[in-house]
Amino acid sequence: MNGFKFLLKFSYRNLLRSPKRTIILILSLSLGTGFIIWDLNFANSGSKEVMKEFLAQYAGEYHITHKEYYKLDNKKEFNNFKIITDDEIQDKNLITFSTRRVTAPIFVSGEKKTLGVLLTGLETEKETKLTTLARAVTVGNFLNPLNEKEIVLGKRLANRIEVNVGDEVAVIGQALDGSVANELMRVVGLIDFGGGDLEESLAFTQIKSAQELLVMTPDQYHQRVDFNMKDETVPKIEGLAVTIWTDILPEIGVSVKFVDNFTWLVSIIIVMVISLGLSNSLMITFLEREQEFQCLNIIGAKTTWVTVSLMIEVFLLGTIAIMLGTLLGHISTTYFHHYPFNIQFFTGGKPIIMGGMIIQPLVRIYPVLEYYWKVPVMIYLFLLTTMIYPLIRVIRRSKNAI
Amino acid sequence: MQFELINVDKIYQASEENKIFGAKNINLKISEGDFMALVGPSGSGKTTILNLIAGLILPSQGSLKHGGSDITSFSLEERTKHRLDYMGFIFQDYQLLPILTAFENIEFPLQLKGFTKKEIDERVHWALKQVGLENMGHRFPKQLSGGQQQRVSIARAIAGRPQLILADEPTANLDSKTAQEIIELFKKLNQEFKLTFIFSTHDQRLIDQVKTVMYVKDGQISETRTHHA
Repeated sequence: MNGFKFLLKFSYRNLLRSPKRTIILILSLSLGTGFIIWDLNFANSGSKEVMKEFLAQYAGEYHITHKEYYKLDNKKEFNNFKIITDDEIQDKNLITFSTRRVTAPIFVSGEKKTLGVLLTGLETEKETKLTTLARAVTVGNFLNPLNEKEIVLGKRLANRIEVNVGDEVAVIGQALDGSVANELMRVVGLIDFGGGDLEESLAFTQIKSAQELLVMTPDQYHQRVDFNMKDETVPKIEGLAVTIWTDILPEIGVSVKFVDNFTWLVSIIIVMVISLGLSNSLMITFLEREQEFQCLNIIGAKTTWVTVSLMIEVFLLGTIAIMLGTLLGHISTTYFHHYPFNIQFFTGGKPIIMGGMIIQPLVRIYPVLEYYWKVPVMIYLFLLTTMIYPLIRVIRRSKNAI
Repeated sequence: MQFELINVDKIYQASEENKIFGAKNINLKISEGDFMALVGPSGSGKTTILNLIAGLILPSQGSLKHGGSDITSFSLEERTKHRLDYMGFIFQDYQLLPILTAFENIEFPLQLKGFTKKEIDERVHWALKQVGLENMGHRFPKQLSGGQQQRVSIARAIAGRPQLILADEPTANLDSKTAQEIIELFKKLNQEFKLTFIFSTHDQRLIDQVKTVMYVKDGQISETRTHHA
């Protein structure tokens, strides 16, 4: 124990041998650690906030549907004849934070032009509470729950078919009984998704109007869309399909995954660059002390003792830097938790469009516990790797004569 | 226990044809209480002989013995331990660790030997007293003069009461007065505690004080003279 204490003291004192160099090494490593922790927290929270914003606007966390509503291998395609009712959902809690939707591929005609779009029948009142869709209406109003046969069109769609708020449009589709469905609806609002593709392909009406159009009973619908998924796990409902948003919008799920993985990759590259610099500094430090190592060997210090003392030295340096870096990372994370970060900073103030919808989130950065041990472990591993070559040099060259 | 070099050659071979004898046919016995010097010009082989005695290098031929043990059969780590257990070293440029105080520098080999804290305290204080630096244990090497640093180096070498102390040009970096004091210190340690010293030196004052002088030329001990006190 006494010997180990001396070894610790020896290693610690070696850190003070060249204080400026030690401080620079500790600062570079701690700044790197702090940045990586902040960056990972930011990327994680950023992805979550963007997704939360995006999903809350319209898409929802998951859809409860008939088992054959979405095509198994391509959720972009659906079978509109497959409907469900609330009687099929045993857990009534699932109904609280979800809203029913009726979907209908239709043609919508203005006075001069006709286009094919997806008409969605909404539970207007609940939709306003659960989603931010109503906020995207920039011209006119959102659907009035007390009215019927109103329609809200995407801005680009309205331009294409040359209609405006107050105009009537003809809606033509196929009812579930096989008959031709047609209805006149009044345009009450235009929705602005930032000019995205969805602006040209979506239209919304009251659920009752959509049900009547498709000859459905009031309890029948296509989707129950949930906005309150807990622990990122979807419920299992016997006899029905529960489809998570990443399956419905795989391209967006992949983008989020890409951002997460890319952030880790950047973190690893940062650590590698710091490690190379550190390795070089350690090499210089060790080589400067080569004669001293030889002397230690002559007076009786085994190579193992010298090696362990150097490893402890680097470990102490790393531990101080990692502790400081973790603190820095946490402080910066906490700051941006209290003062959310506007990610439009990265786009020069322009809105971010995702999945055809406009996103304007303020990112509140949340600390993720796993980063607080994963990042230090990663840095310790790199430190260990960093030491190998300088140590081999020391071991090779410390066995020498007077 | 005696240290013995028997028919030792050390050949540095640059190529098949180009062989350089660092030491040639060395026969040397070092007994307890010896106070001897290897003397010769630079490159004559003095330091090679010191290195051979210390087991820092191995002979190309012949054997190195300590008591009944053949040091040439030891592994590198065993030779390091052998040095730690039986030898002390004094260097021309002191070789103190700048990050440790005088006390801690002396403590260093004792820690490696595994002494208890109490034993270490006793031995370090004893060594500091012998070299006349009782009150300077807390100072770092840079806070000491050259002569004081060499005294700490001597204290480090004697603290473990080794059977043999090897000193490579111990007075070369010191001024005349300090060198004389250090030589007196060596003499005192040899006479009072029967510590065995072998020096490699050019310093005539030291040569005059040792009991045995071995003149080294071209790797060979060409002449041995014994002074009688």
